[in-house]
Amino acid sequence: MTALKRLPGVLGTLVVISLLTFAVFYLLPADPAQLSCGRPCTPDRLAQASAFMGYDKPWFQQYLDFLGGIVTGRHFGAGRAAVDCAAPCFGWSFRLNAPVTRLLLDRAPVTFSIAGGAALLWLVIGVGAGVLAAVRRGTAIDRSAMLLSTVGVSAPSYLVGLLGILLFGFTLDMVPVGGYIPLAESPVDWAWHLILPWTVLALLNAAVYARLTRGQMIEVLGEDYIRTARAKGLRERRVIGRHGLRNVLIPVVTVFGLDLGTLLGGAVITERVFSMQGLGALLIDAVGTVDLPVIVGVTLFSALLVIVANVLVDLVYSVLDPRVGKETTSR
Amino acid sequence: MRRTRGFTAVALSAMLLMAGCGANAADDSDDAGGAGKGGKLTVLSASTDINFDPAKSQNLAITTLGLVLRRLTTWDIQPGKTAQVVPDLATDTGTASDDGKTWTFTLKDGLKYADGTAITTADIKYGVERSFAAELSGGLGYHKGLLIGGDTYQGPYTGGDLASIETPDDKTIVFKLKAAYGDWPWIASMPAFTPVPKAKDDPKAYSQNPVASGPYQVSSYQQGTAVTLTRNPNWDAATDSVRTGGPDEVVFQLGQDATVAAQRLIADSGDDRDAFGAGFVPPAQLAQIEQNASAKQRLVTSDAGALSYLALNTRRGALKDVKVRQAIQYAVDKSAYQVATGGAAGGDLATTLITPGIPGRAEYDLYPAGESGDVAKAKQLLAEAGQTALSLTLLSENDQQSLAEAQAIQQGLQRAGITVTIKPADETTVTDTLTGDKPDFDIAVSSWQPDFPSANGNIQPLFATSEIGGGGYNISRYSNAEVDRLIEQALATTDPAAAQALWAQADKRILQDAPVVPLKYNKNSFLHGSNVQNFFVAAFPAYPNYLKVTLKNR
Repeated sequence: MTALKRLPGVLGTLVVISLLTFAVFYLLPADPAQLSCGRPCTPDRLAQASAFMGYDKPWFQQYLDFLGGIVTGRHFGAGRAAVDCAAPCFGWSFRLNAPVTRLLLDRAPVTFSIAGGAALLWLVIGVGAGVLAAVRRGTAIDRSAMLLSTVGVSAPSYLVGLLGILLFGFTLDMVPVGGYIPLAESPVDWAWHLILPWTVLALLNAAVYARLTRGQMIEVLGEDYIRTARAKGLRERRVIGRHGLRNVLIPVVTVFGLDLGTLLGGAVITERVFSMQGLGALLIDAVGTVDLPVIVGVTLFSALLVIVANVLVDLVYSVLDPRVGKETTSR
Repeated sequence: MRRTRGFTAVALSAMLLMAGCGANAADDSDDAGGAGKGGKLTVLSASTDINFDPAKSQNLAITTLGLVLRRLTTWDIQPGKTAQVVPDLATDTGTASDDGKTWTFTLKDGLKYADGTAITTADIKYGVERSFAAELSGGLGYHKGLLIGGDTYQGPYTGGDLASIETPDDKTIVFKLKAAYGDWPWIASMPAFTPVPKAKDDPKAYSQNPVASGPYQVSSYQQGTAVTLTRNPNWDAATDSVRTGGPDEVVFQLGQDATVAAQRLIADSGDDRDAFGAGFVPPAQLAQIEQNASAKQRLVTSDAGALSYLALNTRRGALKDVKVRQAIQYAVDKSAYQVATGGAAGGDLATTLITPGIPGRAEYDLYPAGESGDVAKAKQLLAEAGQTALSLTLLSENDQQSLAEAQAIQQGLQRAGITVTIKPADETTVTDTLTGDKPDFDIAVSSWQPDFPSANGNIQPLFATSEIGGGGYNISRYSNAEVDRLIEQALATTDPAAAQALWAQADKRILQDAPVVPLKYNKNSFLHGSNVQNFFVAAFPAYPNYLKVTLKNR
């Protein structure tokens, strides 16, 4: 129900984002047809290439064509070389000679694999380390966890990724240095190739979660209801796990939703370093080659993921904090 | 021809990178002279896509496309020799008649596609025709403006056939040109002169699955990840003088980070011993290789090739005055520029427009000023021109490497009292400003490697009046009727030696007007695994010759 109610808002946001992407793109001085014109490029040939790709129309007309294509599909050129982009058509990449919809579907599993595994890992490590540090506050465990997390927060992923490849890939020759194996092809190889990117991303992100969890946990452990729980004679494990952690998780889940949503839209640097062709790599290539349909497609898809992640976070709230759900239904 | 960039950005410029670079002595010792047959060769590439459609490809004749597709003529690239145009599918490099306006080619006997059907001249005609279709634009189209009727022809899908290409029989093809053109044998080596059987032409899928005529065929194409080539059973080595077809299989690993790819090749373990990198070795890894004896042996650096130059916008303010432009020739510190691009390993200082490795090149220096320039001479010329406080805008790409190069130019000119303001912009904006119709800049650093190894490719695209604006690469906006006449004359000359003399004359005549400052002939470095042999890079093109690479038998 909650998700359905938010649908108009979600669609509205996506329309605004796509409109902005189009507008910004057309403010740039670059001509996408120029890059597809070949060498030498005469004005006549440029005009023909531009007309074929539909770049000769005013930008708002192109935008309307784009929206229409989602519903009815699109058609470029004539005769045997004509291009058909079936609905839902999110544009056609003339550079890659493929519909954007298919490109997104092809690349998404790569990014989802990287992001999903890494997120699971950093959530477990981050929250675990945070709880431990809070419970053992002031001890050596606390201090070393926080020191490590400072390093993690500050280190750039490009550097850590390359160092990881150098150490574990080349020097120790323990793990593969890159490339993506589809899950369906071989689950073992899939995981084996992803271990290094998962670990790198998880270590960097876990740092934030460890700090957040620790801070929240210390605060929660000072609350009255924790004292009450302890006074009732509950075991410490239950006090922390059931009464403490549940409240700590609310802000953690909020941040996690945003982080995961962003990462699912493309782990740009990680994909680059580990030679994995996910959504991030697709976007970077598209920006470099002024491939507008792909830029709009990936931007929209990423935005959708962030929005969906936020909706999911709201749903999880109602599980973690029953008051949220009740308020919604009672109105 | 194309505008090339230094080390860094090339990694992104897609299929252009699939070519390879320069010859190196270190390699010769273990080369067994092409004996190695078999094995799986791996090519590590930064690009995420290979476009095998000959109409859309800008590939060099000696790289990826050349492994799968043959052309009417092709390039013979050997270490230490200048590039030659040689017959590929044809029996010779073409016979000119009608004063160089008609060119006739005959096909060799017994040529077959991978599926066993015969290659005919009708397929070559069709291949050229489809390159005119707007749907398939993006390739090298020098022939489009030369063939009669080419200016208006729309391709075979909507425009019928092109009458200026005749195929009197299955073995003969005749091209009729608007004007005499001596370099037509080179034009016939462009990707569009690949045979495409009409019945098998699916324009939407051809870029991933072309009908093979070379030693290999595409057996799998995973977009963005990998492309695998396996042997074409119907390729006959006896008909092919430039391809050795060594490895049984060639695998392109796409989207490889340049740094990681270089590290893999330095480490040289497992399958990477059978691999080479398609992109330039990044400067940081070049330094690392210096300290590593094993890797150093496997580093191949080209002879000095593509030209880096400083373009002076001859239609702007004080730069309209030839004296001012000549002053800049003396004021530039070429040595500082060379340091900014990686020192002597990155290339040699340049004084001419036609680059080393191109037949007919003549060495000369119109503005002798030593490696660091002649500041006094520059000041004197500026004073004669009445310029006491010259101020110029330098348009530069905004990556670190380009900015370092721009600063080297800025500091050099500063010594002569010329104030240079660097205006950084992204790559696409810079290209559009330099080649478009709103040239809002005074000076810019650019580089150029011809698309085919004729002096024509060094001169015409950069200095003919017809190449100003509209996407053309005459970024200096240089226009001189005398030079245009020389270019026309050289283009129409079918005797190579006579044409070369005319190009050399044009080279010198242009620099008298000083529209550009030649800075450096670039060198490119590539790395290969220990099992790879016959890997060399000539001066032109400064990329490895994929067609000759073999693997040691293990």
